[in-house]
Amino acid sequence: MDSISDSTVQALLLLITGDSDLWAIIGISFKVSLTALAIATPIALLIAFLLAFGTFPGRRLLIAVFNTLLSFPAVVVGLTLYLLLSRQGPLGEWQLLFTQPAMVIGQIALALPILVAMGHAALQSVNRRAWETARTLGVGMPRAVYTLMREARFGLLAAMLAGFGRIIAEVGASMMLGGNILHYTRNIPTAIALETSKGEFAQGIALGIVLLLLAFLLNGILQVLQGKGRHAV
Amino acid sequence: MKAVQFEQIEKRYGDRQILNGTGVTVRPGECRLLCGNNGAGKSTLLRIMAGMEKPQRCQVVYEGLPQRWQRVKRRLMVDFIYLHQQPYLFEGDVTYNLSYPVKGGRHARQEAVDRALDWSGLRALAAQNVDSLSGGERQRVALARAWLRRPDAMLLDEPTANMDADCRMRTVRLLEALKREGVALIIATHDPRHFGAISDGMMRLEDGSISTRAADFVEFPKNVTLLDRRSRIRA
Repeated sequence: MDSISDSTVQALLLLITGDSDLWAIIGISFKVSLTALAIATPIALLIAFLLAFGTFPGRRLLIAVFNTLLSFPAVVVGLTLYLLLSRQGPLGEWQLLFTQPAMVIGQIALALPILVAMGHAALQSVNRRAWETARTLGVGMPRAVYTLMREARFGLLAAMLAGFGRIIAEVGASMMLGGNILHYTRNIPTAIALETSKGEFAQGIALGIVLLLLAFLLNGILQVLQGKGRHAV
Repeated sequence: MKAVQFEQIEKRYGDRQILNGTGVTVRPGECRLLCGNNGAGKSTLLRIMAGMEKPQRCQVVYEGLPQRWQRVKRRLMVDFIYLHQQPYLFEGDVTYNLSYPVKGGRHARQEAVDRALDWSGLRALAAQNVDSLSGGERQRVALARAWLRRPDAMLLDEPTANMDADCRMRTVRLLEALKREGVALIIATHDPRHFGAISDGMMRLEDGSISTRAADFVEFPKNVTLLDRRSRIRA
């Protein structure tokens, strides 16, 4: 019990005093995850839009695939990409393994299904008359698409927050693709796993506190957005 | 705008024939009422005319040239505005909705919004969120928004349904103003009496298909139900 409380106090001190190693890990986590989210979001929105409003063969199958990928374990995604990016793999020439871009690719693969599934649900909930109204008011296709996105913005933001929440806390893919290299690919979850295995809990707890605060913040934002969304309907 | 003729309109949903090779003519500044039972195909007809719903067959005489519906679909979507019974307003306030179809910079948009607010008598509601508007107010916002687009024709689906007498009167006044400006109006309604003051005549959809051709109606009033005339007498 004493060791837990001592470690927690040490963890808080590390956070407050601005321990450089700790804040580097936090910085890498946010950099990698925000980059992955920034790349995955437009791709996912386009797919979600096509699934919600398009009519093409295989549409239902594609929806089922993305829904299935939602429950795909991060470590399996990591393993698949590891095999692709490893030196003997088909993409080995790119020499991306154990780099931040490899972690970004892994996190894109993890975020995409959530963004597509939740984005699809958000766009489907928009009244179809929104599209017709936009078109009959003479706006072009891009503006009509933007209008639909705007109408579904609370749901789409919720999708982005959920996607970010998943990738910033996942350990499997980051560990396998990044290699947990200090000051380069060590992010919050891989650092927690490493420090815990070494029996040094202070840094692990400090990083855990950061993740908890982040989860709390994201949930708070989600609650506010959902409240606004309900009001807007 | 020249008169636009829709000919040989055919529409089926599965085995059910909704429109059976019938035709409608839209003339500038004319107001026609479209009556018929529920499910007769009134909304379908209006949506086809607005370029929003694909018919199995339809020829459109547009600017004097007969063309296939598919070829003029986009132009119909721009020149003809279809207004749903409960018009869709975008999330935001009345000003945002009115400025939506306006092209140009901030100044041009504000100027257009001001004109629309004056035209529709909605100035007091300019900053109001559309969620808090009544059905009648929403209809007037939609009409003012459509007015800013300067359409050739407006196709309205039950525009005064479930409105009280005051709201109805305000809406009909706006429709009258549109008609005066040369906008053609086709109004689907269950109660033609409400539009007696502005109507130039009535078409009826029966048994799932148009039983009176609009063109016939214009040239041969004997084919037409006289409800509109009665309503004028009542008014």
